[in-house]
This record gives sequence, structure tokens and C-alpha cells, in this order.
Amino acid sequence: MAVCVAVIGKDNSPKYIKCVDETNALQFHYKVHTSIDIVEEKLNIGTKTVADNKELFLGMLYSTEEYKIFGYATNTKIKFIIVLQSSNATLRDNEVRMMFRKLHIAYANVVSDPFYIPGDQIKSRAFDSAVSEIMS
Amino acid sequence: MKHQFVDGKSVPGAKAEADECLFEYLHGEIINYVVSKSKESSEEDLSQLEWMGFSVGYRIIERLTREMQRFKDELDIIKFICTDFWNSLYHKQVDNLRTNHHGVYVLHDNEFRLLAKIGKAGSRQYLCESPRLLAFTCGLLRGSLANLGVACTVKAEVTALPSCKFNVEVQRM
Amino acid sequence: MRSALSVILSSPVPDNKMSHPDYEQTAHDHATILVLLKPVGTQIKPKTVDRLCERIIKCGSRFTVTDSTNNQREILARYVRDYPVENTEWGDFQTHRRLLGLITFGKYENQTELNELCRLHETFKVKYVQTLYDSRTILIGPNASEKLSEPPPGFTTPFNFKTTGFFYGDDLCPDLEAQILEFLKGLFYVLDYKRLDRTREKFDKVALLKAPFEEKDFIGLDLESRNNRKRCVGRAIKHLGDLSLQAGLYSDAFNNYTSAVVTLQGVNDWLWLGAAYEGQCAVSAIMLYPNLFRSPPLQRNSSLQESSPGKQRRDSQASTLPISPTIDTVRTAKFQVLAPEDISKRYRDAIVHYSKYQNAGIIENEASFKASRISIEQNCPLQAAAFLNNMFNSIPMPEKEKIDRFTTLAELYTALGFTRKASFCLRHAALHYVSQKNQNPDWQQCYNLLLQTTSGFKLSLDPAEMSPSNRRGWPSIQIQLLNELETAANRMGNPALATRHLTFLLQTMYNYLSVNQRRDAALQLQAVSQQCEGAPVPLVLDSGIVIPPANLTNIPRTKSFVLKNLQPHLQPQKIERVKEDHGPFLFTPINFGSLDRKTISKSKVDYLWVDGDICEVTMQLVNPLPFELHVSNMRLLTNGVVFESIPESISIPAESGPIAVTLAGTPREAGELEILGFSTHCLGVKSDCQLKHVDSMIHQLYTVEVVPQLPKINVETSLPRTASFSSADNIVTSASISLYGGESAECTITITNVGQVPVEMVDISVQSTLDSLTKSKVFRWNEEDLQTQLPLQPQTSASITLYMHAAMDFVVPTSRHGSTGVYPSQPNSLLSHSGPSSLPSRLSSPSHHTKRQSEITSSFRSATNSSTGSSSGAGSSSRLSKLAAPLHASNVVEGQLRIKYSGAAGFGAGYCRVSSVFIAIEMLPSVQITGWDVLPAELPTQFYLVLDVTNMTNHEMELNYATNKRIYMEGRESCRIPIPVDRCPLNKQTLVNGSGNVDDLQKVCAEHIASLTDLNWQLLGTESKGQANLTGLTLTQNMLDLVRMSPLQWEITINEKVFKSQDELKCTLGDCVSVGVGVSNALENPLKNLTLSVNLYQDHHNGVHNYRLDSRVSIAGANKVMLPTLQESGRAYYECRVVFLTIGQYKFDIQCTSREPSLNPSVTFTELSSNAGHTWRYTPPIEIKVVDDC
Repeated sequence: MAVCVAVIGKDNSPKYIKCVDETNALQFHYKVHTSIDIVEEKLNIGTKTVADNKELFLGMLYSTEEYKIFGYATNTKIKFIIVLQSSNATLRDNEVRMMFRKLHIAYANVVSDPFYIPGDQIKSRAFDSAVSEIMS
Repeated sequence: MKHQFVDGKSVPGAKAEADECLFEYLHGEIINYVVSKSKESSEEDLSQLEWMGFSVGYRIIERLTREMQRFKDELDIIKFICTDFWNSLYHKQVDNLRTNHHGVYVLHDNEFRLLAKIGKAGSRQYLCESPRLLAFTCGLLRGSLANLGVACTVKAEVTALPSCKFNVEVQRM
Repeated sequence: MRSALSVILSSPVPDNKMSHPDYEQTAHDHATILVLLKPVGTQIKPKTVDRLCERIIKCGSRFTVTDSTNNQREILARYVRDYPVENTEWGDFQTHRRLLGLITFGKYENQTELNELCRLHETFKVKYVQTLYDSRTILIGPNASEKLSEPPPGFTTPFNFKTTGFFYGDDLCPDLEAQILEFLKGLFYVLDYKRLDRTREKFDKVALLKAPFEEKDFIGLDLESRNNRKRCVGRAIKHLGDLSLQAGLYSDAFNNYTSAVVTLQGVNDWLWLGAAYEGQCAVSAIMLYPNLFRSPPLQRNSSLQESSPGKQRRDSQASTLPISPTIDTVRTAKFQVLAPEDISKRYRDAIVHYSKYQNAGIIENEASFKASRISIEQNCPLQAAAFLNNMFNSIPMPEKEKIDRFTTLAELYTALGFTRKASFCLRHAALHYVSQKNQNPDWQQCYNLLLQTTSGFKLSLDPAEMSPSNRRGWPSIQIQLLNELETAANRMGNPALATRHLTFLLQTMYNYLSVNQRRDAALQLQAVSQQCEGAPVPLVLDSGIVIPPANLTNIPRTKSFVLKNLQPHLQPQKIERVKEDHGPFLFTPINFGSLDRKTISKSKVDYLWVDGDICEVTMQLVNPLPFELHVSNMRLLTNGVVFESIPESISIPAESGPIAVTLAGTPREAGELEILGFSTHCLGVKSDCQLKHVDSMIHQLYTVEVVPQLPKINVETSLPRTASFSSADNIVTSASISLYGGESAECTITITNVGQVPVEMVDISVQSTLDSLTKSKVFRWNEEDLQTQLPLQPQTSASITLYMHAAMDFVVPTSRHGSTGVYPSQPNSLLSHSGPSSLPSRLSSPSHHTKRQSEITSSFRSATNSSTGSSSGAGSSSRLSKLAAPLHASNVVEGQLRIKYSGAAGFGAGYCRVSSVFIAIEMLPSVQITGWDVLPAELPTQFYLVLDVTNMTNHEMELNYATNKRIYMEGRESCRIPIPVDRCPLNKQTLVNGSGNVDDLQKVCAEHIASLTDLNWQLLGTESKGQANLTGLTLTQNMLDLVRMSPLQWEITINEKVFKSQDELKCTLGDCVSVGVGVSNALENPLKNLTLSVNLYQDHHNGVHNYRLDSRVSIAGANKVMLPTLQESGRAYYECRVVFLTIGQYKFDIQCTSREPSLNPSVTFTELSSNAGHTWRYTPPIEIKVVDDC
């Protein structure tokens, strides 16, 4: 399903990024990184105008010939990015929503970990396995 | 307490009650511990308690806002605090919210849960000690708001038990 | 948006594909007349061309003309510096792509040059002949012509030159604007004529207009079919719309486009439908956003190389930029145009339609750009981004175009505020400059573009801005970018830059690099820096960009950085002075600079360094790399006073550490020195590692006070050193010696000035645990002797002699034989303890006398004032034992000879140094006095001091105890020796008599004895000799009586003859012996109530004195008289007679007792005890031998 999952902090620094194809990880880093621009823009609109879209799910940020990049931002300005293969046409928005939901639950659990200091890199096995589930 | 967070909504019942009590007892013990530790100094140092609250607030808000829609603005956030947030933590909503629309919000709770056990209405017996019971919640508020992007200071005020006011003053950059 | 449809609709015809995309195009450009500005010839300076172009663009970008119907029209023109002919082929498709005008610039000096210019102009005319309406050439000659359009005198244009030329004499070209406007108007009229021509034509008669690649598609098709006729008409209307737009008739244009859309939709002519949509959008955009004529100025003067094709394009675009901002006409739409949100919708439709044709890729891309520009204007970044995102398709195109596309994308993303996307595109553009497909890779361009991407990736090339606290961005991306920058810099032949980037990578990204990456980067750095050594100086690029210095703060990693104090003996110390210079106030409440000091107190060290002295910092370094690291030229970085650093080099084995390094240096002036960090030379890079940039350093800098120069000395002694010494304070050397108690020795201490400045002050003192009195006995030196040797110039020496004396307590109140284990409470009861058997054989004189006498003494004492005597005795004994205990045995006395010295400027500033010599004197016991007593001597002015002396050494000892009296003692042997001592004279006693204290008196007498007696010993067979003194003797009251000179002078007469103590008296039985006793008072005060008595007794020599001699002796006259007073210097005399009835030895006990009457209440107890109950006895007792007559 997902080929890359990333968590981006309030300050837009990477907190977690995992790719199916680790040898090509950098390519996804770029994809995720550039998508921040669009996420920021979408969040900006959210605050400026009375946008009807108050969902945390930001929808597809952009697509390339190979990939579709989806975004999600929590109320605490943590951004989740999921990269899906474009060829996977069967995926519907709602399924992507579910992925983000899972990711958000996993993230909330990470933050509840007293040994995790908010803002640090995420190094939680539980989170890893949640991400693997999304990617499998 | 955790039980409620997972459910999102509180279910009043015997089982939940035990969980709630546990939090209150633990909270009380933490207060006693912090107060006893700061006994040497003349002034009671509640900052540690406040910091604990901040940390908890910062973490818990991630969970509590998970199912929420994106907040439109600051007032939206405060409203959430007064309703869902308060409800999740203290099983009731804030009774009264006032604001000057310039970053000052006053949250008025007529029967604050953590104060309810130490005195009937109007009792003055523990009035002096009551700030201890509010420091944690002040921190909780501050931490929650901080993670939502609202930097602020929170002060609590008790005039007659068990009601209290939380004064949220947003720091403008 | 592209679909597989495109493949079906058009097969690739590469030749007809538009290969020169114009990504700078805006929607407004649809309405412009395209004019090429071209310099010709080689004479004209680019600067002149630029200036002329600028003038043309300024006046001719937007102008008004009056048309044939006397209406004012506003016409737009677009100027390019370069235009590929192929693009004009698309002129049928979109007429604004046709090049309508040409203006060339040239400069000539002679006819030949003029001819050449004309020829070149004609060449260009031919090149664009298909579309060109008219042309002008601006020719700058050596002199002006009278008529502008004709060459100046002496010059002629070639016969085939048909162009209107402007002949100027210089490059000021006074009426250029007017001429250009005229030219432009001409162009307009041609255009408008053509437009009118079209309107008059019947649309269905018009030949099918085709896009270049379409030619093939229509071969063999029935053009007369209904569908194709409609297609023809639609395209023609669209074409008319284009012309109307260019001719400034926006309303007509829009109507034409709209009707074209309807027609073309019906025949599914997607490509031209798209174009019609675009036309609608263009009209709408011009009406809605008149100011969006040109996108904001691009970097016009950014370094342009003539050769770089990409830039040249940009340049040509750039020259079309300026538009006078005064034309700010807000056009109110006089007719219906598209609503703003519809514009993007139409564009999207157009793009979708274009995308159906593989060969329309460029058109599609251009449309996307145009659309996104409109969206930016509409402030819809997401929409703009969506348009731009469409650009990331993989249409095969030359690298140059990809670069163009990406740079344009980057510009637009920047305009959107999408800095990350912009950088992403720029980086792609940069990489295409050097991609493998690119035949002529341009690393310089690649580098320049990469450098521009840094901001979007939040990478600052200033290490200070990349500190852990304020770093942002994505490390993995930044690492890659830095690596690419390094490669580009290296490939473009700037190893210094490559070194800098790698250094930066290792400095700021160290913690994000994997172990392998670190190794690779380090190795790479090592390789690169061989070509150009890295140094911590800013690098300025050709473009003026400054690359700040980077430093290898992590290689090697610094674990600790500690300033070291000077060695203790070199540490400057404040000379304590009488604070006379400080004015009347000893304490000033104003603490100067105290606030400052508090703020930096953390980093300010609390010790001092000295100007001219080597000062050190110790560091611990770790090599994190898997190969050996050579760090050379390590120096301290300082600020403040001049500091001379000593370079240090070190090799750290792979992955090892911490390894300690000491960096040293010499301050060259006094004042405040700041230690900022250190510099290294490692992996071929010189780095300044400031502590504030090094991880986990406690302080950002250290501050040390440097005091003025001080001399330095070396100290040596003539004695051997000790094996070890205890407290290593500022001790530089040591000396040890063994001395027997009482022995003296000398030690020469040599002070050599090994510094640079003279020693002007030396102060010597001794520190030890001894009390000051003993200390002064043990250590002595001649201060003056040293002072005369000052000042001590550098490299010279001075010496001082230290006299050492083993001052011991020789008096030990313990008797070694006898009571072992029990410490005697009565120290001076020597004789009663030591039995006769223990008396040494050689003890000479009055043995039995002594014994007997003392027994009388002791018994008497106990009888008369036992309470006071015993108490004082016990008290003194305990005190003595405490004092003597540590010294009487062999022990070591340690002392430090502190040599405080200073000189030069440091002395002036009140600083000195202290070097100490550790001195250990082992004091061996020599002789020991274990017991003592006093006996009356033969002379009344003397007494015998009887000592039990032990030779504590293992050597035979010669002991010289009185004039001409000596004994030899074997090792460990004890002897008893009598020393005749003068009695303590009264004048000494009077000093204490006033206060009348026994203790004082005792002390005076003991001192008196000590001063008179010296036991000079010499160990036979060795050189050792010494002197033991008798300090510390305690004397009892009775002893005191003997020691002291009696205050009463006795004058005894026997049978009228004055008796002398040596006399031997004899008398016969029954004789009457007359005894006369005269007493005179030698004191200065009268004695009162004296009782003078004469008694006889027999000494049985066994300790028994028999006083009951009634049957043996008869005394005539009273044997006791009372003397009420005896005046000072007064004399009393008393006489009695004695008849001995039996023979035998008799002794006279003549004594005088004072009994102060107890009724005097003012008399204190002490007085009572000293004076009241006192008995003076005539000693030695007179002995008389009574013999039988017969």
C-alpha cells in the first residue's frame, strides 16, 4: 500500500520517515519535503478563510506519474505524509483516511510515552509496527 | 483516567468511578510530595507541580484532539477546552467563559472537581491550601494550549470553594 | 492529465515539434507584437546594445495608435534578443509566435564594416522572412549624417540593402524613441491590415490552418467534408481572434475566440479548441490583470556568460522586462470576459486538450506556466501549484529545455512561496546541466544553481546558523546537497570550494552522518584538500557570493579543554604589603568591576598567568574516524593580549581516544587574555575551533589574567635530596640531613636566576610545624648576606647558608632503668629510685654525702610544705612530659624554606613567586639526661648538679661537662656526673621576688643552670660533635634552696675561729666547743620573726639521723633564739657552747627559720609559702669528730 510514511514536526523537521524501499529513501525524502509547501499552504487557507474543509485529512497534496502524496495535519501541527503508488488506483480517499487515522492513534500513543520527549525523533517499536502495518 | 481518554467520552458508572478516584488520590499524593519537598524554602514551590501538568497537558492534547475537526482560531480552541477537554478530564463543562477578545480568557468552573472534596460550598477551611490543588490543572491548560500553538500563562483563582477561575492570558508574539 | 489518447491522435514527428519552448510567456504575450532586437557586427559594445534595448523597450512596450476609424488602440509589443526560427512556424497556430519586426544594432568605422553590417542585417531578414513585416537597423558610424535615414557622407549602403537604417554619429541616438514608435506603428498598420483582410474573407474559403506537426495528419483527408470545413472555419475564427488581440481589439478577439470554441468543440478539434480557450483566457487576463504584463523582474544582471545558452535566453527575456509603471490604467471590462475562477478552469481544459497530442507538449507546458502565473496573480497558490505540478511530466526533451523548464518552475514556485518546491526544481535544473545526456556539462552553472537551492532546503552555509539549536531543514537532503555542491565545485575546478563544502558537511552535519558517511567524507576531504588546502577564511565567488569559513570542530572531537595553572612554584602571588598606597581607607566599599566579574565569572579562571612564561591548556581528543588522524599545527586561539602559541602536532590512532594534548604558548604582555579555542590542521584543512562552536564545552571562552613578567629561579642545595617529601606545594628541591641532638650543620642554598629578568627581591622564611622558638633554634640564616647579592641578573647565582641545629630536649624526666612502665610522677626523686648498685663506677665525688643529704631534704620538704611542693612538682612534670615527648626520641623535623622572590615589572605590579626547599632533619638522640639532683658543693657559692646522663648513640662519646672535666661513655651507656655550678645570684632572683612565684623562681633558676652548663659531646671516630643544654630542668623547692644563693650569709665560728667548710673539726671528749653563728641579711628587705637554731645530730649513714642526743651532748645556752627582725644588711650573732659526752661523729644542723605571724591578714598564700615557712640551712653541715682523749 503505502510506500513511504513520514511524520513531520511543528517546525517542519522530520521526526520519522520510513520507506518501503530504503535504498531509494532519499527520493522519498525529497517528495515528502517538497510536500510540506503544500501542507503549509493548505493549513494557511484553513485559518484564513472559513473553509468548509475542517478535516485533519488534507487530501492529496500532489501526484506524479508514479506516486500520489497525501497529507494530514493534526491540531497540534504535526504533519503526516503518506506516499502511495499511483498505479494503485483502487485506493479510495476513505481508505487513505483510515491509514492516517491509524497513524494518528499510533502517534498519540508515542506522545503518551513518558520516555518520549515531544519534538524528538520517534524511535518507538510500537510506532514502527503501526507504520509497517500501513505500508504492508 | 486513562479509561476515559481511550473512550473519548465518560461513562458514569461504578467502574469509571474507581478509576477517577485513583487519579484524585494520586494527585493528592503528588501534591503532598511536592509540598513536602519544598518545605525548606519559605515559599511553597508549586512550579514543579505546574510543570507536571504542562507535560501531561502537552501529551494528552494529542489524544483528545484526535477526533476533532481542525480548529478555526484561538477562540475555537478555547471553546474546545471549555467543553470537550473539560468534560473528558473533569466530567463537566466549564460553566462560564469570558473573554476580552484580546487574548484574555476567564474560565469559570462553579464546582471544580478537584476542589469538590475538600469543602462544601462556602467553606473556608482549606481556602489557603487550595492553590496546591489547582497548580496541576494550570499546567495542564498551559501545556495543552502550548501544543495547540497558543502560548499563554494560566493563573487560577479561588474565592469560595469549590468554585474557581482559570485566567488564560495569551502571549502575543 | 496526459492520456494515452495522444499516441493515437498524433504519431511523433520530431522535426515539426516545437523545440524551443518559451516558458517565460505570459497570457499577455498573446496580445503582443513580437520584435527581435539583435546586435550585429563585432564593433558595438554589449553595454551600448543593452542601453539601446532598454530605451526601445521602455518606449515601445506599450503604445497607442490611431486606427483607420480614428479610434485609439493600445498596442503591446514584446522584445526578444533571440528567437528560434522554428518557433515562427507555430505562428499559424498562435499568431503572437510570429516574429513581426526586427531591429539590428551595429557600429562601423569604415565602409567595409558598414557593408558587413548591412549584409548581416539582410541575413536576419532572410532568416525570418516568413513572418517579418518590417525591419530597421541602427547604425552608429564615425560621424552623423544630415538625414537620419541616409548614410553619412563618404559612406554608402550596398545596392541590395533595402532596409531603412538610422545612421547615428554616436551612441546617444537622440530621437531613437520617436523613430522606433514610427516603426512600431508601421508594424501595427501592416498587422491591422492583415486582420481586416481576414475579416473580409469568407471563413469557409480559408485554407486549413495547421500546427506544424499536423501537416502529415491531414494528407489524404477529405478537406471538403463537413467536419473538416467546420474545422477550417473554427480555426480561421480562432486565427482572427489572435490577430484582433494583437491589434488591440480585445472585445472582437474575445468574441472570435468564443465562437471558435463553439465551432471547434463540435468537431473535436482538441488542439485548436485548447488554443481558443487559451485565447479567451488571454483576453480575460489582459482585461482583469492589466498589470500582469510582465512577471516581476528576474535577475537581470546576474552573472551572464555569453556562451551559456540557458542564460542567454534569460537575458533576452530580461530585456523585455521593464514596463513603465505609470501606465496603471484600470480597465473596466467593457464587455463580458471570463470570471477569474473560470480562467483557470479554461486553462485546465486547454491543457487537457493539449495533452492529447504528444507533439503539443511544449504548448501544453507553456500553457501551464501561463495558467500558474495567472493563479499567482489571483493569489491561489494551490491552484498555481497544481498547474505547475503538471510540468513534472516526462516529455523527452533536450537537457537545455529541461533546465529551462525547471528554472522557470523554480521561479514560479518561489513566487508562490513554495521554497521547498523551488529548491527541488532548481536542484533538478542544476543536475541536468551535468547529466550524462548533456553533451557539454556545465559544472559552473550546476554549482550556481545548487547554491541557490540552499535557502529552500533551509541550509545556511554559515556554520554559526547551523548550530544544533537553530538548525532547521532535513538533514538527509542537506547532506546530499552538500555532497553535490562539493562534487560540482570540484568538477568546475575550484578545489578550495570543494574543501569548504566538505568541511562544512563534517562540521555541521556530523551528528547526522552515518559512520560510513563520516569516513567517506573525511577521506574525500583529504583527497580534495590536497589540491587546495582549506583555511578558515571566507571564500568569495565570482558572483560575489561569500561562503563563510567552516571548521572541523568534530574531527578530532574535543572531549575536554582545560586551562592549566602554572606549576606551583611559578605561580605568581600577591606580595602582602602594608596598604599604604591605598589611601586612608583600608576597605573601599566600591568593588570595582565586581558586576562585570560576576557575569563572566564562570569562564574566568581564578589563577594567573605570567607574561613571558609558558602557559598550558590540556585537551582530550578523540578520533572518531576509522583511520589514523594526523593533527598538526595545533595552536591556541586567543584574544586580548599578545600571545605566542607553540604549535603542536599529534597523531591519533583510528577510533581511539581520549588522548591528551597540551597546547602551550607564551603571553607577551600583561593584561586580560581570552582563550577562544584552538586551531588545527587536519585532513588538509586548517580549522579554527572556537569553543562556542564545539559541542559540549562548558564555557564559550576562558579569560585569564596575565601579570607582568617575573623572574624565575632554580634552587639547589648542597645536601642530598630526600627520598620523598610530603607536601608538594611549591617545592622545587629538597635537602635532608641527620643530626645528633645538639649538633649543628650548614647547608648552602644556591639560587640561580634562570629567567629573563633580574631578581630584585628575595625574602626567605621557614615554615614548619615547630613552634617559632624551636624553629628559630633549628634554622638560622644570614639575611643580610643574601641581600647584598641582589639584584641577581639572569643566569647568575647567589648563595645563602642555612644553619641547622638539632635542637632537642635533652632532659628526659624518665629514668630508663628502674621503674619501667610506670611513668614517675615525681620527676626529681632520682636518688630514691636509683639504687646504689646502678650508680656508675666512675662517678667520682660525693656519693654518699649526696644520698644522705637528699634524703634529709626530701623528708624535710614533705614535712614542711608538702602540699605546695607536690602539687607544683606534679604539675610541672605533666607539662614537661607533653612537651618533651615528641622530641626526645629520634625524629624528623620537616621544614620548608620558602624563597619568595620577585623582580622586573611583576615586582612593580606587586607579584612574586615562591620556591620552596623541603628540608628534612633527622634528629638522632645524642645524650639524654634522665635524672638530676642538686647537692651542696664544697664552696658555698656553688652547688653540684648531679645528672644521670645516657649516651644514646652507638658510638663512644666524649662528654665535656665542665671546665677540664670530661668522661668517656660507651655507646648506650649511662653515667652520673656532678657539675659544679655557681649558685643563682640574688640579683637574678630579685627579678621575680616581687611577684614571688615559685614557678617563676624555678624557671629563673633553671635558666640559670642551663646558661652555665653546657655538655659538649663528641662522638669518637666521627666528626660529630654537639652541645646539649639543660633546658627543661625542673627544680623542687629544696633544690631551689641549693641552687639559689641564700639570702642569709652565714658566718660560723668554732672556738672563736671562723669556720671554713673544708675544715675538719676535731675535739676531744668533754671539751667545750663554742659555736658562734652570725647571720646577715643580704636581702633588700628586712626579715622578720626569724628563729635561729643550732642542733646536733648523729648521722648513722643508713638514712637515720639521730637527733636525740641528750645523753651524749649537752648544750650550754639556748640552742634557739628568736630574732624579731633582721634589718636589710643587718647582722645578728648568737653563740652557744657544746660539750660532747661521748665520742663519735656529730653534725651541726644550723638553720634559720622565718615564721611570719599569721595575724597579718594581708599576706597572701604565695607569700606565705615562699617566705613564711621558710628554712635556710647552713650547708654543708659542720661535722665534728669527737675523740677520746686518751
